[in-house]
Amino acid sequence: MSEKPAYTKPLPDLRPEDATFWDALREHRFILPCDDAGKPFWYPRKYAPGTLGQTSWMDASGQGTVYTYSTHFIGPSKSYKGDPPHIVALIDLDEGPRMMTILVKDEDGFPSLDAGDVQIGMRVRIVFDDVTDEITMPKFTPAA
Amino acid sequence: MAEGTPDVREARRMLAKGICIAGVGETEQGIISDRGSFELLAEVTRTTLDDAGLELKDIDGIVTAFSFVESTLMHSTTLADYMGMKPGYFASVAVGGATAPLMAVQAALAIDAGLAEVVLCVRGDNTRSGISSSGMIAMAREMSHGAYEAPFGLTTIGGYGLLAQRYMHEHNVPQEALAAVVATQSEHAALKWNAMLRNVVTIEDVLADRWIATPFHVMDCSLVTDGAAAFIVTTETRAKSMKKKPVYITGIGEGFSHQYISQAESVASVRDGLGRAGRRAMEVAGITPQDLDVAEIYDSFSFTPLIALEGFGICGVGEAGDWVMEGHAKLGGTLPMNTHGGLIRQAHLGAMHHIIEAVLQLRGEADDSGRTEFNGGNHQVPDARLAITNGSGGILAATSALVLSSEPPSAA
Repeated sequence: MSEKPAYTKPLPDLRPEDATFWDALREHRFILPCDDAGKPFWYPRKYAPGTLGQTSWMDASGQGTVYTYSTHFIGPSKSYKGDPPHIVALIDLDEGPRMMTILVKDEDGFPSLDAGDVQIGMRVRIVFDDVTDEITMPKFTPAA
Repeated sequence: MAEGTPDVREARRMLAKGICIAGVGETEQGIISDRGSFELLAEVTRTTLDDAGLELKDIDGIVTAFSFVESTLMHSTTLADYMGMKPGYFASVAVGGATAPLMAVQAALAIDAGLAEVVLCVRGDNTRSGISSSGMIAMAREMSHGAYEAPFGLTTIGGYGLLAQRYMHEHNVPQEALAAVVATQSEHAALKWNAMLRNVVTIEDVLADRWIATPFHVMDCSLVTDGAAAFIVTTETRAKSMKKKPVYITGIGEGFSHQYISQAESVASVRDGLGRAGRRAMEVAGITPQDLDVAEIYDSFSFTPLIALEGFGICGVGEAGDWVMEGHAKLGGTLPMNTHGGLIRQAHLGAMHHIIEAVLQLRGEADDSGRTEFNGGNHQVPDARLAITNGSGGILAATSALVLSSEPPSAA
């Protein structure tokens, strides 16, 4: 296990309607928002997309499949300079919704998975990366 | 053309007024560090007025876009003030890469509503030389969700990459197909007087280039450039007293599938969403893809035109890569595409230059051989009468398309 550098990457914009989601992640629980028919959707919003009905939360497995990915050789800001390539992926969660994540090697959410170790259709599972005291990022790693 | 749904017939009714582009202009493109954003816009307005044989006082409507450098929520009126105009109609359009065709639509709607008769549509910026690093970061973050995409290190290039890699996976499209788009457009840009990149590159050159985000090398990506471009929208009646032969807008269409790339349902849904714009524009114009002589297709990345060609019905699903590799998109091919070099070889001003190149093609003025000081060449498609052009904002999120014709629309 390599030592973790100080986190200088962009942090998520926080809005009141998302607090429950980020609170759960901080406790290493992965939850998904559900619409008024109980169907999970992504990304979290106060009102259900398409109907603006009431929403609720469900516990999710954190298991999924790589829908697609792009290996980034250049990051969006200076904080990525000197890093090895990082793999941004879209994951089809077993519960249905598709979410974006970054693919990583180990349990701690660090470092980035090697570019040769990813393919579309690959099974992955969530890992919780406590990047700051407040924020835990939901990252994914190849399922054992 | 009595057939068609009521909305299509209504679009034809408006365009039957002879809504046309009566003047175009473009500055040099590339790195222009000695001119500011508004200066470039005023410069290109002068060129465009000259082209139409008009003076500034003849313009009664102005449609602009936005600036990454001169940030303002009132861009059109700020420019009007800068140029000393008091237009009766003004609007700023901001839908990313879909902005240019939407500016033309906005002008047409204003003319149809009696708000203006001669509308200047102008966009330009010193994006390359003038942008601050915080502006660049804001631009990079613009297309990604601030909570659920940006923190994973997504770039705009990678966002397109996600969709492109899935497209290539589903349809077994080789990397060479993307490179063929770049190679084809490099041949065209070599002839266009103001293209930033004038050297011809091969498929092998592109494949050997440095990666940015898979499946895109540097050369697969659009440029960041300084420059400006403009066109004047008016009616056939008004255009009669102007200098140049009008080019008619005979079809308009829009399509939307998602904002954030993680919300795109599938490759098929994206193709269908953006495809609607082109298919509807052709339906309004009463034409089919086989009728087209030239296609100026938005090319933010080498992949972008492939899915648009399929969405518009110009190519079958998954077949656009082969189509380009077979040479159909080249000058002299079945349907020459991006005859000015496009965003990946000429300049990036959204779809402004796609519209301007389409107009020049339909006026028979796309031969730059006379511009010896710029080493221009002939990129004219012989006898071009019908063109399609489009722009897409976001990561193929929102698309607007126009059909342009050298002839007025037939009676609605």
